[in-house]
Order: sequence, then C-alpha cells, then structure tokens
Amino acid sequence: MAAEAKTKAAVVAGGTKKAGAFNRFDNPWLNWKFLAGVSILGIIFFLIFLGNTFWDTSLALNASAPLNLPPYGMEYQKGKNNILVGVPEHPLGTENSGRDMLALLIVGTPRTLGVGAIAASVGMLVGIFLGFLAGFLGGWIDDVIRLATDITITIPSLLVLIVIQSVLGSVDLITMALLISMFAWATPTRYIRAQVLTMRESGYVQMARLSGVPTRNIMFREIMPNLLPYLAASYIGNMTGAIISAVGLEVLGFGPQRIPSLGVAIFFSIEAAALLRNMWWWWGIPTVILAIVFIALLLINLGLDEIANPRLRKAN
Amino acid sequence: MSEQRETGSERVVLDVDNLRIHYATPQGDVIAVSDISFELYEGETLGLVGESGCGKSTTAYGILQLVQPPGYIVHGSIEVDGTEVLNLTEEELRKFRWTGLSLIPQGAMNSLNPTMRVKAQIVDVIESHEGKANYESFRERLSVFLRKIRRPRRGEPLKKYLGEWLRNLTLLLRYEPLKERIFDLFQAVGLPNRIYNMYPHELSGGMKQRVCIAMGVALHPTVVIADEATSALDVVVQRIVAQTLVEVKDEIGVSLIVIGHDMGLLAQIVDRIAVMYAGKIVEIAPVENVYANPLHPYTQLLIDSIPSIKERKPLKITEGITHDPRNPPSGCIFRLRCPFAWEHCALEEPPQINVEAKHEVACHLFDEQFEERRSNAFAAIANS
Amino acid sequence: MGGLSLNYIMRRLLVFFLTLWVAATLIFIIPRLAPGDPITAMVARMSQQAGFVENADLIIEGWKERFGLNDPVYVQYLRYMGNLLRFDLGLAMARFPSPVSQLVSRALPWTIGLVGIATLIFFTVGNLFGALLAWTKTPKLVKVLIPMSMIFTSIPPLLAGLLLVYIFGFLLDIFPQAYAYHHSFRQPEFTLKFIGSVLHHGFLPAMAIVLVTFGYWALGMRGMMVTIEGEDYMILAQAKGLKPFYVLYRYMIRNAILPQMTALAVSIGTLVGGSVLVEVIFNYNGMGTLIFTAIREQDFNLIQGTSFILIVTSALAVLIIDLSYPLIDPRISLEGK
Ligand SMILES: Nc1ncnc2c1ncn2[C@@H]1O[C@H](COP(=O)(O)OP(=O)(O)O)[C@@H](O)[C@H]1O
Ligand code: SF4
Ligand SMILES: [Mg+2]
Repeated sequence: MAAEAKTKAAVVAGGTKKAGAFNRFDNPWLNWKFLAGVSILGIIFFLIFLGNTFWDTSLALNASAPLNLPPYGMEYQKGKNNILVGVPEHPLGTENSGRDMLALLIVGTPRTLGVGAIAASVGMLVGIFLGFLAGFLGGWIDDVIRLATDITITIPSLLVLIVIQSVLGSVDLITMALLISMFAWATPTRYIRAQVLTMRESGYVQMARLSGVPTRNIMFREIMPNLLPYLAASYIGNMTGAIISAVGLEVLGFGPQRIPSLGVAIFFSIEAAALLRNMWWWWGIPTVILAIVFIALLLINLGLDEIANPRLRKAN
Repeated sequence: MSEQRETGSERVVLDVDNLRIHYATPQGDVIAVSDISFELYEGETLGLVGESGCGKSTTAYGILQLVQPPGYIVHGSIEVDGTEVLNLTEEELRKFRWTGLSLIPQGAMNSLNPTMRVKAQIVDVIESHEGKANYESFRERLSVFLRKIRRPRRGEPLKKYLGEWLRNLTLLLRYEPLKERIFDLFQAVGLPNRIYNMYPHELSGGMKQRVCIAMGVALHPTVVIADEATSALDVVVQRIVAQTLVEVKDEIGVSLIVIGHDMGLLAQIVDRIAVMYAGKIVEIAPVENVYANPLHPYTQLLIDSIPSIKERKPLKITEGITHDPRNPPSGCIFRLRCPFAWEHCALEEPPQINVEAKHEVACHLFDEQFEERRSNAFAAIANS
Repeated sequence: MGGLSLNYIMRRLLVFFLTLWVAATLIFIIPRLAPGDPITAMVARMSQQAGFVENADLIIEGWKERFGLNDPVYVQYLRYMGNLLRFDLGLAMARFPSPVSQLVSRALPWTIGLVGIATLIFFTVGNLFGALLAWTKTPKLVKVLIPMSMIFTSIPPLLAGLLLVYIFGFLLDIFPQAYAYHHSFRQPEFTLKFIGSVLHHGFLPAMAIVLVTFGYWALGMRGMMVTIEGEDYMILAQAKGLKPFYVLYRYMIRNAILPQMTALAVSIGTLVGGSVLVEVIFNYNGMGTLIFTAIREQDFNLIQGTSFILIVTSALAVLIIDLSYPLIDPRISLEGK
C-alpha cells in the first residue's frame, strides 16, 4: 500500500501541481500485487518441491505415524494427565489416524491446487470457445449461449455437485475436477463475450474488418493478444472458484479418502471434533495454507486487473 | 496588450495572462497551452478557433480549474472580475464555480448524469449555490391546501373539480419552488416543459445540448465557456443550437467564450476571434477584420479552407500539427508549416504585434523592420 | 414511462423458469445415469456401511414399488415434475416417514435469514468502503485502514468460519459454537430473549460470510467509481461547484451501484454454496446442515429435495434482484420497447 500513497500525491485536485513520481508510467507488468501473488505461489511450489525431495511423503498415509501429536515444541493435553509433547520427527504434529501433518501438506497442497487448475483450465477453454462464438457470431447462437450461461450462473453449482457426488460417492481428484468444470465455463464465457463485443467495436478491429481481414485472423491476431490480461485474470478467478468448490466438496466428505488433500484433512478433523479437542494444528495448518493460496490468487487477480485497466492503475 | 483595456470603454471580465498548461507523459511533458494571454470584455462573445488538438479545450479547462491529471497548470494568472481564480481555496473555488465561470461542455451527450431527472440536475446547481430553495414548511402548505379545498359548485363537472383537487394535493405533497424558474430557462433555450421530469436518455442530442445551455446560464454567471458545444450535433441542429446560444447570451447578458474548429459557424456568432495553433494564440481580432484581412499565415490557411466564404478550394490543412508537442520548434511555433518562414523565424519567438486597433498577431512579418519581406511575400501569394 | 419493459421481464422470467426446469431435470437424471438404480445403490451403500442389511432384496423391491421406480422413465419423469409443482418432495427415506417438505420448511427460513442479513451487511459495507477508497476527499487514515480490513477477502467462508469458531467460540468463548439459538428453547418463540439468542448465535456464521466477502464488493465498487470518475458528467459536476459529499452519493455512488446490483445477482449461486458450508461448520439449523445430515445418512431423496429447494430459492433471489433493477436504473425501462 506504500506505493499507493506515493503516487497519490500526483493526483492533485484540479491538477494544478506538478505531477510527482512517474510510477503510473512504468511497465504495467511490474505491478506489486501481481508480483507478490506470483512470488507467494512460487514460494509455496518451491517448498512443496523441497518437501518432496527431503521428506518422506508416505507419512501422509494412514497409521504411518503416532497419533495426535502436537507440532514440535507444543504440548497437547489429551485426557486428565495424558500430555503429549511434539517431537522433531513430526515437526507439524500428527492427526487422529496417524498421518504426519507435514507430509500431508506436501502431498495435499499440490493436489488441491491441481484440482483448481484442471477445472479452471477446462472451464476456461470452453469459455473462450463459447465466448468468442457468442460475441462474434451473435444471432440465435448468442441467444442460446447467453441463456445457458445465465442458467448455469444462477444455479448454485455446489448443490448440483453434491447431488452428483452423493450418487457417485467419493471420487478421485481428476473426476472431481471435471465435475467442477461443468460449472466453471459460465463465468468466463460471459466475461469473454462481453470483452469480445467491446473489442469488436473498437477502432483497430473495425479497421481490420474494413480492410477485409478474415474473421479468424481478426480473432487470433487482433483480439486475443489484447484480451490476454483479461483472460489471465478470468483464469485466476476461475481457479479460485474451482478450489473453493473442491474444498467445499471435500469438507462435505466427497474427497478421496486414502491420500488426503487439504479439504479432506479438514473434513477428517471436523469428523473427529478436532475443534473441541483443541487439536488446532489438524485443521488450522491446512486452513492457513489454503488462506495463503487464496490471498496469493487474489493478489494476482488484482494485479492483472490493474495491468488490463490503466485507469485503475492511475487511481492507485 | 494592456493598452486595449484603457482605449476601449469596455470592462474586462476575464483576464488570462501567461497561462501555461502541460500534460505529463513518460516521454516528457506535452505543452498543451503555451503562455497564452487574452482578455474577454463584458457582454462580448469571443471565439477560440483552431484545429483539433491545438489546446482549445485545455485552455477552457485551465480557466475553469478543471484540468484533469496528468495535466497541470505550470504558471499563469486567471482573473475573473478582478478575482484571481488560481488563489482561491478549495471551498471558495467551489462557490465561485458556475456563478463566476460556467461551462457548456464538449460532450453534452454524456455530460448529464444518467440517473437524475433533468429538473434535479438543474435544481442541484441552483441549490448548492443559492442554498435550499425557500421551502415553505409543510404546515404552511397544509393551511394553503385547506384554504383552497371547497365543495363542488352546483353543475360543476366532476372531472374539473377532481382535477383541481389533484393539483392542490400535488402542490401539498410535491412542492417544487424552482419549477417556474426552470420553465423560464427552458423557454429561453427553446425546450418544451415536458422534459422537466425526463431522464437524459429520453432526450435527443440537441435537447441535451440545450439542457446544458440552460444549466450553464441558470445562475447568470460572469463568463460562460462553450467548448465545441455544437460539434457533436448534425449540421442543421448545430446552427439552431448556436443561434440559441447567442440569443440566451444576449437575453441574460453574460460574456461568452465559444470554442470551435468550424470558422464558418463561429463567424456568425462571435464578436472577436482568437486563432490558436499548437498551444499559442497566433492572432486575435474582431471577426470582420479576421475575414477581411487575415494577417497570420496560419489564419490565412484557415480562412482559405472555409468552403462557404470563398469558392470551394482543396483543403490546405491536411497535415495537422506536425511537430512533436513535447519539443516545439525554436522561434515561431508555425514555422515548420509556414510558407513564408525564413531564418529569423527560427531564432526568435514572434511577439504579439498590435497591427491595428484590437488586432494582434504573432508573426515576424508584421514587425516593422521586415516590412519589405512582408510585401514581397504577400505579393507572391496574390500572383499565384 | 418508468415501467418495466415487457421484454426485460419476459427474459428474466424465462431464465427463472428454465433454471428451475434444468435443475429439476438434472436432479431427476443424475441418479438414473449412475450404474444401477438409486434404491439398489442406496441399499448397497447401507450394507457396505453396516456390513449387512437384512432382507435387502425385499427392501429394494418394496421401496421400488413405493417410489414407482418400476414404471417407464417418462412416466416417472412426469410424475416427478407433477409432484414438484405441488411441492411434494417425497419422504425422507432415512427419517421415514417425515416428508422432505416439512424438514425443508423448518430449515429454509434460517438459511434465508442468515444469508439475507449477511448479504445486506457485506453489500452495504463493501460498497461504502469501496466508494471511500476511490473518493479523493477520504481521509488518509481511512484509506489505509480499509485495505487492511480486507485481508480475508477471497478466503472461502468455510475456512473463515473455522477460524472464527475456534477463536471466538472456543478460545475466547464469547460466542456459541453451534446451532441457531440456545438449546434451552425447545422451539422458536417470539420473545426478546429468543431473538437475542438468535442474534448471538447468528453473529459468527454471518461474520464468516461477511468478512471474506465484503472486500470483493469494495474492490468492485472502487473499480466502478474510478471508471465513473472519468465520465463526462463528473467533469460537469465538478464545474458546477456542487458540494463534494453530494457529488459522492448522487453522482458517483448512485451510478456505480448499478453494475454492483447486477454483480450481486450473478454471485448468489456462489454465496448460497458458501453459506451451506458455513452452516455445516456451525451446525446451524438451516438447509446446509440439513444437506450435510442427509449426506451422512445417505438419504438421497432428502439431498435431492433440499438441493432443489435451495436452487429454487437462489433463482428466486436472482429474479427479485433482476426485476428490481429497472427501478434503480431509469435507462433499462426504455430498452426493448
Ligand atoms: N491526458 C492527456 N495526456 C497527454 N496529452 C494530452 C492529454 N489530453 C490532451 N493532451 C494533449 O494536449 C493537446 C491539447 O488537447 P485539447 O486541449 O484537447 O485540444 P482541442 O480541444 O483543441 O482539440 C493535444 O495535443 C493533446 O494531445
Ligand atoms: S513568424 Fe515566420 S514562421 Fe511564424 S508565421 Fe510568421 S513568417 Fe511564418
Ligand atoms: Mg477539444
């Protein structure tokens, strides 16, 4: 926020003062929010990589470690006189069924992010296709796509996913990602359609049309490159939504149970009343990791917004 | 320049002196308005003309203290009725606005708040400067209402009776003390009363422009600035709206600056014309003088390009401003396009030269020491 | 003038009814797409869990007969649709013979209340904060404090709920950890004490939704305000010398709130999904907890019924927002005429 305060001085009412630092003219991709978000995700991936290299990830399996150990350096009063003390072999503690929390994070975090990435990618591809189709062709195709989009957005996807999963039972992560993507196309479609419509009316696309450039070329040479920051922002937003859906389904007990992801870990902890037993590390650590991931995604999204929209940049 | 103030009996209402406005960009400042000075006399209409991008709007916004970032005023002085506008505090400036200086904006199409009725947008400017209109209290209105209601007369049509009842009730519940005043404004600009309750999107372009004119003169400001007020309209409406502008101005007795790029249209409504090129005023004179005897080479180009004044000639102004506005050429700003330019023009910036009464021009040709060069140049033109 | 255009209303109603139809059909088709029939699948799952179910075949046949699963599919579909129209959602199998509609009608008001109040709060606070962020006259301190209050933005409400219930329910013990009102009330009553208890219990769940959501609205509002600051009418408003605060609410917020309303309609689906999970965390007496219970008890009929009613409610909320939109945007009423 320090950067905000600095450039603020440049925007004096009435503009009677000399403009201050030229931050707003810098390379738009040097946006602190964008960079911070990317860095946080980068650090998380790096830590996962380190963990995979140096930690025994099989400890994420059931009964591979002692039960209910608190993180190293902490104590946990189990019963009256039954005090458990954290040990260095399990620095983040263990849970109810003998999984090492650190191993669980190393294994679970990429799985959770993966579900989001797959669902968002599929949704995005469909969204780009339908969005361009609707925006470019118009007519009844546009009407049908818009209607489908409106309906899909209105229906709370979580509820339909619950109905589906309650038939299928718990599924593997890829299936879950594909199920989520059934709803993840609507928002990008709507967004891209609107952007395509705006771009279509803009000068350079009109010029290209007048000079007889084929529609396909206009789409991919003129519109796509300009849409990139919007597409990226939309993708990140989509990924956030997909992870939220996945975690939600997992917390309801629909996740894969053998090798847990973060949401499944939270499900187990709720099942075992970890809250009342004060086993805060069990649900707390996955929650904090997820929260950091979401904050990073939000920062990237905000950064991309400012990259795509110079006015927002200027207002900072 | 200052001699003029004494010679004419007219009072100066707006005195712009040495005003300079820049836009900050990454490659350096764009010099949009470059040390311009001019005066506006009471009751006069001054036209500010020049091709697109020469800094007309920026000048207007500078005078109004509305330059938008990244623009900023470098230096200058703007006096309205002796008040230095640049020295006003924020609150003083707010109060001064619209009563001292008002604006009829360039983009009248989008200059009205889309979610407010026309009446509300005129009421708000009146009320924020004159205080809340003198509302009678509800009790007073109630007593008026009670006095007015009566039994139906014998043989009186029920419809008429109920109509009167309804009118009284409306007066009681929705008292609009400024209604008559707004209707007067509407009449002055030729708007029908029915738009009183309408939203901007229900009006045509010409109507919106008239609403802006009505709004601009609502407080009888000292100076009204109309920035390309008619440019967005089609040609027929343009003339009518321009005519309205002049009529309203005469009726209310304000001083007016009309900005435009259409010399032909401006000629019909202004008293004096200031010709602007690349941020500078190159010639300023009464409108007849400019047409009868354009002095500055740029003005001559402009006049030549008006189809309606002389016979149709190919438009000479095809290039627009050719130099980079961040690095203007040395000496005369126009020298890169000027057919008469010679070495001296690159050395020294031409001063404002008073050629005849109220007729000033910024060109070295009119310096007495270059008398001969001038006659030769103009003779050559006449021969071709 | 000023009325809603017929076209607009028709389109909104079309979307509404199509949404209901699509949702109902999906819910009808999904179990039939799965291998086997739902009853057999359910009994299979029950026996999986319990290890053994007595007379499984008889149970299956009996229920199939009872639920008409032996009829042709289209007959089933028509009967199913007919039942939905009469709001007959069948019986909760696991809580035989409680009708689903009865369970739902007990739970739904709590969910509507929770989500409604949370929405009211985050929409108001979010838009206000966003407007203040963009306004040039906002004090510096406020402009620093508001972004700081938004750090929870984008975290799912579920996780916020976990953190809140742990900190304020468990560690500090100033708010209850579960249920919509104190267990000493056997059923809802209209007393101040009861209302107080409801507010006390509802605070954390509502906050779980509000804390993570209002930031989005603040950011959206800020973006809209920035866009509006560049509009021509803002320059005229400045030139008119109107009072700054008046310009803020009558020119800026008034225009910026319109797209925010549209965005609210779009976000209802996500919002309802989030609140279902928050209810699970807080064991709140609403639809989310009902669904969770149904999932636990493998009560497919109850899952279907609850989901369908929640979808209907969401669609209705969207419809209401969409239909009230023309009332605040004078331009809509003219479109399509
Ligand atoms: N926001 C801006 N940033 C940079 N340059 C600007 C900006 N606005 C205007 N200018 C420059 O200032 C000059 C004058 O613009 P303007 O006053 O709008 O001209 P006019 O009204 O005569 O068409 C132009 O050369 C234009 O390029
Ligand atoms: S000063 Fe020189 S260049 Fe400038 S207008 Fe006069 S003759 Fe042309
Ligand atoms: Mg202009």
